[in-house]
Amino acid sequence: MPVTAMTIEKGDNVATCLEKVAKGGSVRLMLNGNMGETLKASQAIPYIHKICIKPLKKGEHCMKYGLSIGVASKDIKVGDYIHVHNIESARGRGDLS
Amino acid sequence: MARRNGTGASSSKRLRKTWWGYHRENGDVGARNYLLLLSGTLYANSTCERVARTLRHSVALTHPLGRCQIGPDIQRTFETLVGHGQNANAGAVIVIDHHREEGCTADEIAHEIAKTGKRVEAINIREDGGAINVTAKATRIGMEMLRELTNERRQEVPISKLLLGLNCGTSDTTSGLSHNKATGWVTDQVIKQGGRALLAETTEMMGGEGVLAAKCVRPALGKRIWRMVEEMEERILACGVDLRGSQPTGDNMEGGLSTIEEKSLGAIQKAGSAPIVDVIPWAKRANRRCGLHVMDTPGHGGESITGIAAGGSQVLIFSTGGGHTINHPLMSTIRITGNPLSARLQADTTDVDVTDIFEGAPIEVAGRRVYDEVLDVASGKMTKAEILHEDNAFAINRNGPSV
Repeated sequence: MPVTAMTIEKGDNVATCLEKVAKGGSVRLMLNGNMGETLKASQAIPYIHKICIKPLKKGEHCMKYGLSIGVASKDIKVGDYIHVHNIESARGRGDLS
Repeated sequence: MARRNGTGASSSKRLRKTWWGYHRENGDVGARNYLLLLSGTLYANSTCERVARTLRHSVALTHPLGRCQIGPDIQRTFETLVGHGQNANAGAVIVIDHHREEGCTADEIAHEIAKTGKRVEAINIREDGGAINVTAKATRIGMEMLRELTNERRQEVPISKLLLGLNCGTSDTTSGLSHNKATGWVTDQVIKQGGRALLAETTEMMGGEGVLAAKCVRPALGKRIWRMVEEMEERILACGVDLRGSQPTGDNMEGGLSTIEEKSLGAIQKAGSAPIVDVIPWAKRANRRCGLHVMDTPGHGGESITGIAAGGSQVLIFSTGGGHTINHPLMSTIRITGNPLSARLQADTTDVDVTDIFEGAPIEVAGRRVYDEVLDVASGKMTKAEILHEDNAFAINRNGPSV
């Protein structure tokens, strides 16, 4: 049975997996209560963490809620696990200033 | 006591339009009728606690400040204490200080609280003969105050008498999808009926300033939101560190939030779609205009909700991803979660479970449940943490050093 992953706005790069997903496990996207396509997770994804549903090149903004939640620190493919290892905040970075 | 619960959301299509509270002389309405023992400085804390332990229906607010603070910080402590004394949940107040704290004496605090028309007494430990004598004096005065307070009755009042506090904490990715959305729905209903809500947590507006500014009734208010977030970010940058780890916190990241922007965009869902009518500094009293008010506070939960209580909120929704024990001693704090794991692990202090959102329930269904809980609690129902005496969230914000 695929794990449901919730998308907020059409065009977002990420969806939130409502259960943990094993590597190679399938994830079914949900937008506004409607079920959509099924993806394969290329990596294990912990409980309520995010899966990439639209690819990102390094330096591109990662979109959720239709707005930027940070910048990709490396290229990210559909099905990849998205978290602090591959996206970075663009705000409050005293370490860079 | 003249109090009715009304009907639950499940059996009623129409939203309740009233709640039951204690009228105050200045037009405010309290959700509680506590005797407040307010400590002016840390050396009066134990006396306040001793009196509060003796007297039923009393609450002590204690803190480590009020002394050796400079300019804006001592003013901030003073305003926070005054704001709590003025909060309508306090029916009467005894302010106790130690010797003399310039700019934050019991007399000065009591003078401001008295403007609300409620009964207030100021007692000084040194002048009144020491800790034991003052305990006896405050206990006697407090007992007489409580005889009067407990003879008052709740009356039915409109939603316009409610200033609903909004705060989130231990956020995770479920926050922006479930409990903050349900909270936003409640915010909209309260404001549609002439009420007010108070949003805070400036750090968690970082990345969402544009969304909030667009809700402002005047462009100048939007500019103030941009500016206060900018000032918060400047303070962070001046520390020369990476914000990550502090914001988002370790538990935020464990909950799947990767950046402060992601946390913020989830947090501002609590604002709903209502217009922002005012933007105020920490602990300032909100004006009476219907709509959403925004207060400049840090993301620190205890400090943020302390600012909100000083602003005049009687009841606060604390929406949490990880579950929480947070509770303000004077302002009734309702904890809600949509995270199924947290609802189970932190059931002891979760008042409303909105996990059905992830089973496909519309936001309105969960929102109605929260709305009903807000009015029930405003009318006297105790929250779980209130029953458990989880009085852990009175924390005064400061910027400067102790001197």
